[in-house]
Amino acid sequence: MKASFPNVGYDTYALKTFLEDLGAEVIPAPPNSRRTIELGSLHSPELICMPFKITLGNMLEALELGADTMFMAAGARKCRFGYYHYLQEQALKNLGKECRFIPVTQYSPLDFVFRIMPGVFGVPPWRVVRAVAKMLAKSQLTQEFRQHLNRKMAVDFDGAEQAKPKALAIIEQAHTLREIQAARGEVRRIFNLNGLQPQVRLGLVGEIYFMIEQFASQEIEKELGKMGAEVVFERSLYRHIRHLLSSDPAFVRSERLARRYLQESPGGEAIRTVGEAVHFQKQGLDGIVHIFPFTCMPENIALEALQKLSEDTGIPVLSLSFDEHTSRTGLLTRLEAFVDLVKRRKLGRSLHRN
Amino acid sequence: MKVGVPRALLYHRYGQFWEQYLTGLGAEVVVSRRTDKVLLQTGLGYVSSEVCLPIKIMAGHIEELAGQVDALFLPRLLWLEDKLYACPKMIGIVDIARMMLGDRVRIVAPKIQGSLWLPHFGAGMDLCHDPVRVVRALARAGKVLPVHNQVPDFPAGEKRVALIGHFYNLGDDFISRPMIDTFTSHGYRICTKDELPEMVLRSRQGFARSIRWVYERELYNAFRFLVDKVGGVCMIVSMGCGPDSLVAEFMREEAQQRDIPFLQLVIDEHTGTAGIVTRIEAFLELAERRRSRPKAA
Repeated sequence: MKASFPNVGYDTYALKTFLEDLGAEVIPAPPNSRRTIELGSLHSPELICMPFKITLGNMLEALELGADTMFMAAGARKCRFGYYHYLQEQALKNLGKECRFIPVTQYSPLDFVFRIMPGVFGVPPWRVVRAVAKMLAKSQLTQEFRQHLNRKMAVDFDGAEQAKPKALAIIEQAHTLREIQAARGEVRRIFNLNGLQPQVRLGLVGEIYFMIEQFASQEIEKELGKMGAEVVFERSLYRHIRHLLSSDPAFVRSERLARRYLQESPGGEAIRTVGEAVHFQKQGLDGIVHIFPFTCMPENIALEALQKLSEDTGIPVLSLSFDEHTSRTGLLTRLEAFVDLVKRRKLGRSLHRN
Repeated sequence: MKVGVPRALLYHRYGQFWEQYLTGLGAEVVVSRRTDKVLLQTGLGYVSSEVCLPIKIMAGHIEELAGQVDALFLPRLLWLEDKLYACPKMIGIVDIARMMLGDRVRIVAPKIQGSLWLPHFGAGMDLCHDPVRVVRALARAGKVLPVHNQVPDFPAGEKRVALIGHFYNLGDDFISRPMIDTFTSHGYRICTKDELPEMVLRSRQGFARSIRWVYERELYNAFRFLVDKVGGVCMIVSMGCGPDSLVAEFMREEAQQRDIPFLQLVIDEHTGTAGIVTRIEAFLELAERRRSRPKAA
């Protein structure tokens, strides 16, 4: 079996480890590029949100490389994401691409462990559990990697750029739990800050695909880092899987904090977005950046809540929606203006003195 | 006590029921005026530009009512039977209303989860405090809920077109009047999901089973039911409608397979009537040609 799946940022390594652990030969989709998104948009409905287009592009590119089995997450209740796989399967069929398409339901861990994965790979459930544990450890590693990287970029951008490939190589090669554990320390050492502190810290919240896949948000973390702002985030694949296994205390906290604005979950991740933003505000971060795909339904509700949060507490909020036509220049201008505003607000007095 | 009911979204299905019920509770019911440009303009100022047209209109209605009433009656539909969800924006609009209005107006928002009765009873107790009266008002109001059990007949030789769209779009004259008028002035009968029996709309056959949005499943079932009986299918989608953007694709596919003309009209606050009329006329021309074409070909 030559398995493949749509890219999910750095967590692609975690999913690769997972599938390899179950005995699949993994053909990763080529890194996201202009071509991915053009290929994807060509075969997508025009009004669909952006993750659909990129993931479809990933599938098409992976199939070109010879993959024959495609994994795709499914089942998201009120959000469109849960329906992607129906359309994508059909799109692939219409294009005459032969492949085995396996939608993986998110909301039923038991189903996942006892039915879907054993059915696909013919392995006993305990092997699946072991592989999930390994995947969790690895996605936790990539989450820490991103945190270190973001902090390093804010204080020493060039140093971070040099350290990044080294750290990624270490992450890719960590296979067993022990190796992953060792890699965590090594990654931390690589991104040593040398006692420097970032000028401002921004909280990044938003739709999960955009939080994980840097390409979709046009590498917003990198751009903000270049401008000297550390990007703090909470959402990651690791936390998402923890949430699916009902073992994420941060989610419970988010739900509680969001209640002031949203009394019912409008679906998707709006509750988390709002809860995390409130949390970041309470922690004393200097601003919130909110990213989501154009016409995303839940995040548009969250957007109203974030505006209200900004009104109530005075924390600056920048909401950005992306689609494949989002201009990079326009985005950079907005980010620059925002970081400028946040810096002035924080360092206002000292700026005047100079 | 003056209770306001915005004439938008769920009003187009439950409006009569609510009016009857609230009147029965002894409240003075104020329904906002019919949607017009001014209301829409008001609404645009309160919600993000990316949400769909009906939500923008709803925001306008809410703001309009806020100054005139003591309380707003704004039920929140979470899910109906079979755990079929409402769309995220419909769930979220109540929270948006709360954030818009703050303490200015009291908002009575029963949470509809599966059944209408219990949450409405709770909301009634909030407003009236007399259980006997609430139950009586609820029972009386329940009689005006529209019930459809009859399959409409489709006589041969009649020119028909299926208009597939959410009831809150079709029911709002501001949105749908130009389209409906164009169809009727060309001698077409319009079939919508509202005249179909519950049995058809609730069906779980085929792909409908996988659709977890309540109104989307109704649309899809209505489409499946009507597609063989009409000369063409016109779908009205509001820009930014998530569920429609997906399910419309399945409908288009199916219509193509059956060689039925399919028109998707995407509307937002910038849509001009002239453009819509032109597209519909072109679509009807296509349907007309297909009709006159010999069947054997």
